[in-house]
Amino acid sequence: MSENGRGPNSVDKRKPLALGIVGGLIGIYLTPINPIIGPLLAALGAVCGIVWGADAIARVASYGLGTGVPSIGYMSLAFSLVGALSGLSVAVYLGTSYTWIGPVLGVVLAMIVGAIVAGLGLTVLKMKIPILMRCTIELAGAAAISVLGFSAAIAGSYAMPNILHSVIIPGYIALFFILNTMAIQHPFNACLGPNENRTRTLKLAFSTAFIAMAITGVIAMPFSSAWYVIAIVGAIGWFVSITSFIQASKDEAALVKWTGWWPHEEGEDFDKEVKEIKEA
Amino acid sequence: MVVDPLILIGAVAVGGVLIGGGVHFIPVGGAPAAIATATGVGTGTAMLAAGGGMTGLITAAAATTSPLWLVILAGGAGSALMLGITMLVGNWVYIWGVGCVPSSAKVTHDPITKYEQSKFVTPGTEGHGIPTVCFVSGIIGGLLSGFGGALAYYFLYYSLIATPGYAIPSGAYVSLGAATLAGTFALGLFFVNSVIASYNIGGTIEGFHDPKFARLPRAALACIIASAIVGALGVLLVQGGSF
Repeated sequence: MSENGRGPNSVDKRKPLALGIVGGLIGIYLTPINPIIGPLLAALGAVCGIVWGADAIARVASYGLGTGVPSIGYMSLAFSLVGALSGLSVAVYLGTSYTWIGPVLGVVLAMIVGAIVAGLGLTVLKMKIPILMRCTIELAGAAAISVLGFSAAIAGSYAMPNILHSVIIPGYIALFFILNTMAIQHPFNACLGPNENRTRTLKLAFSTAFIAMAITGVIAMPFSSAWYVIAIVGAIGWFVSITSFIQASKDEAALVKWTGWWPHEEGEDFDKEVKEIKEA
Repeated sequence: MVVDPLILIGAVAVGGVLIGGGVHFIPVGGAPAAIATATGVGTGTAMLAAGGGMTGLITAAAATTSPLWLVILAGGAGSALMLGITMLVGNWVYIWGVGCVPSSAKVTHDPITKYEQSKFVTPGTEGHGIPTVCFVSGIIGGLLSGFGGALAYYFLYYSLIATPGYAIPSGAYVSLGAATLAGTFALGLFFVNSVIASYNIGGTIEGFHDPKFARLPRAALACIIASAIVGALGVLLVQGGSF
């Protein structure tokens, strides 16, 4: 494992952060520009958020939380989902001319709750994870962007009444709860270990994000005219990223192939195995 | 029924404490229990919260139009039943699949049946399976957390349907939007408090006889603060119904 997520195999943590915040919010805010392109951009914004969240969870879970990787993902999605919808609700309360404030307020509210929960973990529960605060806040923001992005992609708007009609009432909101948690926590949960390479983990994060996007496209069928665009772009993105992830896994597995497995016994068997590996 | 915002925050905070406290009763074994080297169900709190919480909320939501006590009882019964089934089927696997005797390494005698435990604990493990005391403790935990989730669901649902955006449509018994939103909110409350409790107990606990159970007050404090904040977000959600 890259020690504390900061070893030679980690990526610069500012890159996923910038991708998530800038890409995610731009995607969500461009939703109303066009009934086809807008929802596609919102779904791509959610993909950016998921990749950011996967990087944040990889950094914090490198410490060993004692509860496994998924639990912090579920917790973050839980308060981020409530925070994001609260932000949209406040925008409704302020009036129609303030609809634009909803998504950014939702992300900020989610991050505030994240900060409070992480603060409780550090002070009341006396957890000894120095980056818990920063990573929980990042994870909350990423989770909120992913939920808002997919919701806006289905509703074709980031206004609460539209999202209520096409995301909450059909129950898709509960699906996003689990779907986005899986997309965010799976990459590190699958790749953790002594040889974890963050670039490879993030390739898997792109593939889980794109397959979530493809599913979002399919379930958007009754509500959005852009459903097939979202589904097809998601499927293409998934194919490209999973191919790249499998290739990266093979490249790194080459290290094992070249040096060989450990010998069973010294002597003849060992020489025989070395010979076999060289031939292979 | 008009729900005061402060009552909503209070109900969510109490619900959160019940959930967080309830998790301390549930025999969470985590990865060691999955390979039968520790007592408890072989998964983490997040999964148990998902199973127990969702079932409890489905039963609570089925009783939506009933009085408060019935909704709360329905939620508790659903969660306790789900956890009971999980523990029972887990025990079948441990007893007939793995072939070990349910036993706890934390106590020498089961506090309920008085059966001796230490003889049956495989050396090098921390017990295995779900002995009687853990099962009873788990049922209590399921009841408590189900009560908590149903409490939060009930008050948020009634707050929401008082607004024009979530009002019950004419000719219908329930408001689908309010029920879904309140259910998702209560499920979120389940996850937040169960993970906070899980951080407190360090991943695994056997039940009320476990020495780690003494850490409960610390978790209750953390859960009440975190749930009050989530409850405040619930008040903001209710404001969103004014369209």
